[in-house]
Amino acid sequence: MVGLFQVFVGLAMLIPVVVSLLYREGDAGALFLASLTTLVAGGALYLPTRFNGEITTREGFAIVTMAWAATANFGALPYLFTGVLSSPAAAVFEAMSGFTTTGATVFADIESLSHGILFWRSLTHWLGGMGIIVLVIAVLPYLGVGGMQLFRAEVPGPTPERLRPRITQTAKLLWFVYVGLTAAQTLLYVAGGMGLFDAVNHSFATLATGGFSTKNASMAGFDSRYIHYVTIVFMYLAGVNFSLHYRAATGRMVYLRDQEWRLYTYVILIAAGLLAVVNFASGGYAPGVAGVEGAVRDALFQSVSITTTTGFVSADYEMWIPGSQMILFALFFVGGMAGSTGGGIKVLRVLLLLKQTGNEIRKHLHPRAILLTRVGTRAIREDVMANIIGFVILYLLLCLAGALVMGFLGMDPLTALAASMASLGNVGPGFGDVGATDNYGWMSDPALVVLSFLMLVGRLEIYTVLLLFHPETWKARRSFH
Amino acid sequence: MGRYPWIPPPDIPVPSLDLIAGNATLMPPAAMSAASLRRDSDRETRFMKVLIVGAGEVGYHLAQRLSEENHDVVLIDSNPERVEFAAQQLDVITLLGNGASLPVLEEGGVREAAMLLAVTSLDEVNLVACLAAKRLDVGLTVARISNPEYYQRGSVLSREHMGIDLMINPERECAWETFQLLQSAAATDVAQFAGGRVQLIGLRVKDGAPVAGRSLLELAERYTDKHYVTAAIVRNDVTRIPRGHDRIEAGDLLYVLAPTSEIVGIPPLAGYERFHLKRVMIAGGSSEGEYLAELLEQHHVECTILDHDRRRCVELADRLPRSLVLHADATDLELLEMEGVSGIDGYVSATGHDETNLLSSLLAKSVGAKKVVSLIHKFEYLHLVPRVGIDASVSPRMSTVNAILRYVRRGRVMTVASLMGIHAEAIEFRVDEGSRIAGKTLRDVHFPKDGIVGSIIRNDEIIIPRGDDEILPGDEVIVFALPGAIPEVEKLFD
Repeated sequence: MVGLFQVFVGLAMLIPVVVSLLYREGDAGALFLASLTTLVAGGALYLPTRFNGEITTREGFAIVTMAWAATANFGALPYLFTGVLSSPAAAVFEAMSGFTTTGATVFADIESLSHGILFWRSLTHWLGGMGIIVLVIAVLPYLGVGGMQLFRAEVPGPTPERLRPRITQTAKLLWFVYVGLTAAQTLLYVAGGMGLFDAVNHSFATLATGGFSTKNASMAGFDSRYIHYVTIVFMYLAGVNFSLHYRAATGRMVYLRDQEWRLYTYVILIAAGLLAVVNFASGGYAPGVAGVEGAVRDALFQSVSITTTTGFVSADYEMWIPGSQMILFALFFVGGMAGSTGGGIKVLRVLLLLKQTGNEIRKHLHPRAILLTRVGTRAIREDVMANIIGFVILYLLLCLAGALVMGFLGMDPLTALAASMASLGNVGPGFGDVGATDNYGWMSDPALVVLSFLMLVGRLEIYTVLLLFHPETWKARRSFH
Repeated sequence: MGRYPWIPPPDIPVPSLDLIAGNATLMPPAAMSAASLRRDSDRETRFMKVLIVGAGEVGYHLAQRLSEENHDVVLIDSNPERVEFAAQQLDVITLLGNGASLPVLEEGGVREAAMLLAVTSLDEVNLVACLAAKRLDVGLTVARISNPEYYQRGSVLSREHMGIDLMINPERECAWETFQLLQSAAATDVAQFAGGRVQLIGLRVKDGAPVAGRSLLELAERYTDKHYVTAAIVRNDVTRIPRGHDRIEAGDLLYVLAPTSEIVGIPPLAGYERFHLKRVMIAGGSSEGEYLAELLEQHHVECTILDHDRRRCVELADRLPRSLVLHADATDLELLEMEGVSGIDGYVSATGHDETNLLSSLLAKSVGAKKVVSLIHKFEYLHLVPRVGIDASVSPRMSTVNAILRYVRRGRVMTVASLMGIHAEAIEFRVDEGSRIAGKTLRDVHFPKDGIVGSIIRNDEIIIPRGDDEILPGDEVIVFALPGAIPEVEKLFD
């Protein structure tokens, strides 16, 4: 299975080769070599272990984690072979950041990179996004990870309990939406005067809620209101559960009825509103952006970008007053909707936690009351609720642990926390030395390895990866399942 | 299909409160029969052959009422004791055997029967009996069904698929009645007409009430904006249909007809505070309790429901998102008080045990619940309710009997409400082309002295009539009459 993924990755690498040839750049050969290596290795892994039969839950965890880890490793080859990065840790970090749609980069000068490499970076986002959609909507619900079992009933497509036919069906439907949105965004960009290459790259990065840009200044590099608003809209859409998009596309406007969607939208609007007012009133506003419209646009852009964990930057938010920065800081933990390409804790879990907390308070008024936590009309089972609470606690613990390691590796507390948080939440930029205008290139190899691991853990909803570290996972399993 | 309200077939009115509304409980056979008998014999009434499957309380009472109306009743049950008891007490033919078996049904004369009422406590037996009867071309079949899965739209057994004319859910009927009772704290009786658009309520006039000591004419001048008809006054156990010069005294029991939209304005006239149902507590998570809670949720009434079984509580909490579900005992007074039972608008005890219900209701009443309704299963307990000070009682079986009778009697006479506190009946007639009364004004027809036309429903309009109002074919007319005047009234509508 894992080998099969690498064959696909190898095939995908041929696209940057073509891009490189089109732009008549010298690295086409190196890119082709990377592709060939991946194809051969993938084939070698795949062919002797031809997949047959059903996947068990345990195998499911292992396959998902290993496929992602291996993909990041092979995805690092183009960076190494073309020589733009010499450290394997940095190359893997860049690839992992791509495939987990984090968007943190080790490159200080992006604009000096060849088109082939730039395209590969964006493509890793886009492919990662595709993988995530299928993962969070079709695979993880069956593995019962961190409350994702809530989605079992919500996925479009046929309903058999078996994993494989369902994944195939669901994947096709949702990818259709994903590709459609990407195409739409690219067209709108081009219509707004952006070059085709930049348009495609940024669309890939937006829909995947990634955040790799082809400009050093990220979105601030485009001095166009139109392009900023297009980006805001599509970042927002990418943070919405894709099965909602699918259902809307088939004619049922289900957004308003979805409680998670409402909270997601409220959070963004309230945060943006606060940011706009505070930024405008405080006057300490980034130069070059004019007036109320600029304040509103940047507030919207940044709150959508951080909430959806995209990580595009339209203004250097580190220039904002501390209060505004703390609003963004809080948004790091919310994340996109469950079932989107966004990372973070996910709005659904936040929603359920808030409701559970409300119930705990209400319980003091009515000690004998039986209070269920529900989303819409569905009551959440207690074990699922416990699973979700466990997830959030693990998430926060990992965030702290990551920051601790970063601290020991010599970073200042703010940078350490921000780096850990931005990696685990798959956001990208953070604060301090990894802020809006900074990059991760200065970090030591151990730091990059740990952050790469956090990206993977955050992306795969924590449990999936951590399970592999539990000894029982590897004990002999029963002969039937 | 929404779970509530149960939608009756289009040709029968919405369930109205019949016999057991308010304090009215056990109906002594004589109270009803005099009027019904005459009514049936005056018309060219077809005496029907009726098969009743199940001689439990529902079947027994149906048999009693229908035999009093001179129908040929065959009562079938597989329990020898029940059959024996019914044979001794009732003027019906009894048959021992399984009501779902064809030979037994044939022995009971199913081929000549006009109607089959399957009212055992087993849904499946009732269904099979009705299906068999339909095969044998029985005109009207009624099944008592408790499990919603059997009658919901889309069910294989649903009405449209199987041709069963009426499926009655006792628990649901009962919840509906309770809801009606709760809505008016003052009423001792509530009955509905014209599909719920007109209501009749019984009210005891309080000392110092605005209407006390005044004649009807004075009141009519004083309250020109209110639309109502004082249909009857009960004083010292004597029922009279009042005339304009009659005075209302404190302590009188008034029966007032008014459009449902204006009924809330009536109790204040009799000295009651304006009542608005805001908060209800249901003690007991029985099916009746759950249906009632659903109804209350639909009407945005704040609802608390409690049950002693934790698993049932979780189930209720799942199905009733807007109600507060408590895991508690119905007789735990301390908890009830903590949850604010004193001063609550409505309290309904709805556990499966009558004794618990009575006790729970008494506790709630003692700490000041405004309107207390108790669910009572055993008919013997029903008469206890008014005596011990509980405001009203409901019984799923009695609700079923009433609902079935209402359905069975439909025709030109649409709804008959027999009221316990009063020796009179409210009858809803439909006026035909050939009716003697059609096309005449009320003044011209010499309406009997002991009867009164309460309302005329013409298309969607509700008319509170005066002497110069005309009655037209197609009208529905609600008449309130003493038993002696009923034959005369019926002639007018023939």
